[in-house]
Amino acid sequence: MKPMRHSLALMVLAGASHTAQAQETLEIIVPFAAGGATDIVARSFEPIFSEQLGVTSVIRNLAGASATVGTSEVAKSEGNPNIIGYEPAGALSIQPSLKDLSYGPDSFTYICRTTSNPMFLMVSKSSDIEDFDQLIAASQEQPLLYGSSGPGTLPQLAVAALVGESDLEASHIPYSGSGPAMNALAGNEIQIMADTETILENYDLRPLAVFAHHRIEGYEDVPTISELGLPEMEFSVWQGLVAPKGISDERKTQYSEACQATLESDRFKSFAENAKAGIAYLGPDEFESFVKERFEANKQVLRDTGLLD
Amino acid sequence: MDIILAAVGDAFTWQALLAIVVGTWAGIIIGGLPGLGSVVGLTIFLPFTFGMDTITGMALLIGVYCGSVYGGSITAILINTPGTPQSAATTFDGYPMTQQGRIGEALGWATFASFFGGVLSCVILIFCAPQLAKFAVNFGSIEVFALICLAMMCIVGVSKDSIMKGLVCGMIGFFLSMVGADPITGANRFTFGSYALSSGLTLIPVVVGAFALSEIFMRFASRDDPGAKIPEAKLRFPRLGEWFKRVIELVRGSLIGSFIGALPGTGAAAAAFISYATAQKLSPRREHMGQGEPDGIIASESSNNAVTGSSFIPTLALGIPGDVVTAMMMGAMVIHGITPGVRLMVDQAQTVYALFVVLIIVNVAMLILSKPSIGLFRYLFRLHQGYVMAAIVMFSFIGAATVRGNPLDLVVAAVTGILAYALRRAGYPLAPLVIGMVLGPELESSLRRGLLIKNGDFLGFFTHSGISMALFSLLALFIVWTVWSSLTQWRQSSANARRAESDASK
Amino acid sequence: MVARLAHPRVLLALGLFLVGAVLAFHAWNGPSDAMLVPRFVLTLWCGVALAITLVEMSRVTGLGSWSLSTLLVLMAAMLIAAIAVASLGFLLPALPLVALTLWLFRLHRPLPLAVGTLAIAGGLWFLFHHVLLIRLPTLLTSGAL
Repeated sequence: MKPMRHSLALMVLAGASHTAQAQETLEIIVPFAAGGATDIVARSFEPIFSEQLGVTSVIRNLAGASATVGTSEVAKSEGNPNIIGYEPAGALSIQPSLKDLSYGPDSFTYICRTTSNPMFLMVSKSSDIEDFDQLIAASQEQPLLYGSSGPGTLPQLAVAALVGESDLEASHIPYSGSGPAMNALAGNEIQIMADTETILENYDLRPLAVFAHHRIEGYEDVPTISELGLPEMEFSVWQGLVAPKGISDERKTQYSEACQATLESDRFKSFAENAKAGIAYLGPDEFESFVKERFEANKQVLRDTGLLD
Repeated sequence: MDIILAAVGDAFTWQALLAIVVGTWAGIIIGGLPGLGSVVGLTIFLPFTFGMDTITGMALLIGVYCGSVYGGSITAILINTPGTPQSAATTFDGYPMTQQGRIGEALGWATFASFFGGVLSCVILIFCAPQLAKFAVNFGSIEVFALICLAMMCIVGVSKDSIMKGLVCGMIGFFLSMVGADPITGANRFTFGSYALSSGLTLIPVVVGAFALSEIFMRFASRDDPGAKIPEAKLRFPRLGEWFKRVIELVRGSLIGSFIGALPGTGAAAAAFISYATAQKLSPRREHMGQGEPDGIIASESSNNAVTGSSFIPTLALGIPGDVVTAMMMGAMVIHGITPGVRLMVDQAQTVYALFVVLIIVNVAMLILSKPSIGLFRYLFRLHQGYVMAAIVMFSFIGAATVRGNPLDLVVAAVTGILAYALRRAGYPLAPLVIGMVLGPELESSLRRGLLIKNGDFLGFFTHSGISMALFSLLALFIVWTVWSSLTQWRQSSANARRAESDASK
Repeated sequence: MVARLAHPRVLLALGLFLVGAVLAFHAWNGPSDAMLVPRFVLTLWCGVALAITLVEMSRVTGLGSWSLSTLLVLMAAMLIAAIAVASLGFLLPALPLVALTLWLFRLHRPLPLAVGTLAIAGGLWFLFHHVLLIRLPTLLTSGAL
């Protein structure tokens, strides 16, 4: 009993000192389980960000339902200045159109966009398809299959939009993540996949086109979709910070300045280099209009491809 | 050769060794506490690795991972409550052995089988990673479907007393995994308009409810019964002759675990069930399985620990995480500047070899630390039963609350616990419920993907590839064998009964 | 025959069958692609549960035993605590639940009871929430409790 009592006293002491200094703990909600791709970026971002703000912060993983559970937790904390969400593209710009959610693009105070990576149209390196025309020709002979990391995700939307606009004949097979989809691509169960540079570099893949306005540095010989004679298409995997509605403008500026400083720090830059996350800062207003624009564009794609009526 | 020596040097720094000892020990304890498993363990230790160098950080995490998979077996054997879902199959024979007073033997076999499985899978990882990865790629949706069907057969095996009751529990587990968004179309299923349910039910709260909380209710019902006290935990390693006698079981379990681990999307819990079902068909002592036969513990523990090594095969060779746990490890690698993927072995061979060495040391550390860890559990379980039960309630709640941060999961755990108690009292086996929930999602999504690929032609599954044909024939064989053996058993028992009757009438 | 229906085993099997039937009905009315596997699983569930009900009915004798009064208290406490966590945070429901569990497991001396409650509920909560920074559900928006 004695050691137990001692440790209890210690705990109470530690607790008292702990709560004294942690008056203001900033809670950063990550809508995925710990250790996922988004979580890793958030966990590298968080220490530098809280240092800039001069507060203690803690990451809370609140996963489920395509990241919408965590996101709606942020939306419903209206007026709480000590909670922000590190959000992926899908939860902000796709899911509100697909599901009946408690939030929409207007439910947040937008702080900043942190990273953005354009998506590439890719096939396996072991296939004989070298460019987009060959892909179309092959799909005319026998319809192809394209994978995605789940229904209603960006990889699905990007290829679905392409199928709608071109002569590409392909149907969709959803997997439970990029990893299993890559396994299927390696085993030739599917032939096409759209994803970011990270995936492209990590696996034996050949890029055929990029879903962006201009060619990407390091991939100068990969054409954009509009150069293929198709309407312009832009799909990128991005992340950003949002706060609930009803926080003060002062707080919002504090956040976005800390965000910018974090993204410019050498520590985050070297992490982004390793993780192949493209730093792409957008301020509060630009980020807000960006999200709303993407929301409408994705909704249009969903309608055009019959995923939404 | 230089590179291997350099890698060994990297792994034998004092920081790395300290990290291995701390990580493995913490892993064993965390794994042993019901509700807290590999994922919680890794979440706890992930932030500590940020300030460490690559090998030290990875050593800590690998230690936690391997330790937690082993640790789950301790409580599975001692109090019939698997510390992690991966050890659910260990209860089948582990707890009966405890009830027979063979607790030291049971823990000894679990420890030794864990060590054996871990080391053998390391060896396989080192020598056959590229070949196995290439072979695993051939397992597309249809092959995985066939494999999971085969694995589902173990529901029959683990519900000896009543196959019907086992079957219905399996279906309940399968159903629970289907609540929420459909994996193929994204449509909500069985949510009845509730947003909270649309994120579905996860495994940890259900396992916590079905095993830990229902066990508390069971013990509560018999709390004044002196025989229901938790027995003293001790550890007795099997003697050389004993383990030599069962070496085939050890090797088979380890090989099954190594192979299942190399397939993306399965994991240690599935491996343990598949291995147990195989042992039920092939072990020379199969008639005793389920009644306290060490072969059952060996089948479960050697295979789930073999997954720890081989789950790195798709991660290191293809950059594809084998399960949630390896996905977390991959994330940690990225933080430390290791980018998993096809070129990892070429670009960072020294780091990869150092990780192999770390894996082997971790398994040795696990063997050495098993004694003090079990000692700690012995000390804990010597406290008043109330403290132990209250602590299990708290750990179950914490585990359920942290698995994805959703308070609904606590309600799921409590409701499952109450229902599971009712089912247990009425003689329903609960393991099939977990099997259904573990294997169900993969069975369904592989079937649905296969149907999409084959344009709805289910018969096309059987002739899809050599692997699928082989697996489906094995499945047919398995079914025929099961029906045949239960028929002969039934005939024998009714013949015996008739003889007994005629004897009695004489 | 009707009296046998009141036996807990029969009731449980019958309950399983009814739940399965409702769910199966729901599945057969749903979209055929998303509900393909659920239809199969739930139909099997219903069939097997019905068979179990019949077998149990033919086997049971008498009314069975219904004595689980104090156990019901523990079950209800656990369920209420689990529900309360969503709105009251983790610590507040955990303290009475642990105290009750200790009490019901025959730990009645006040000092061990109080220390045990504080150490097991308070201590573990503090360890996870504030030391390991693995956030549990909270009551206050500042996250301290």
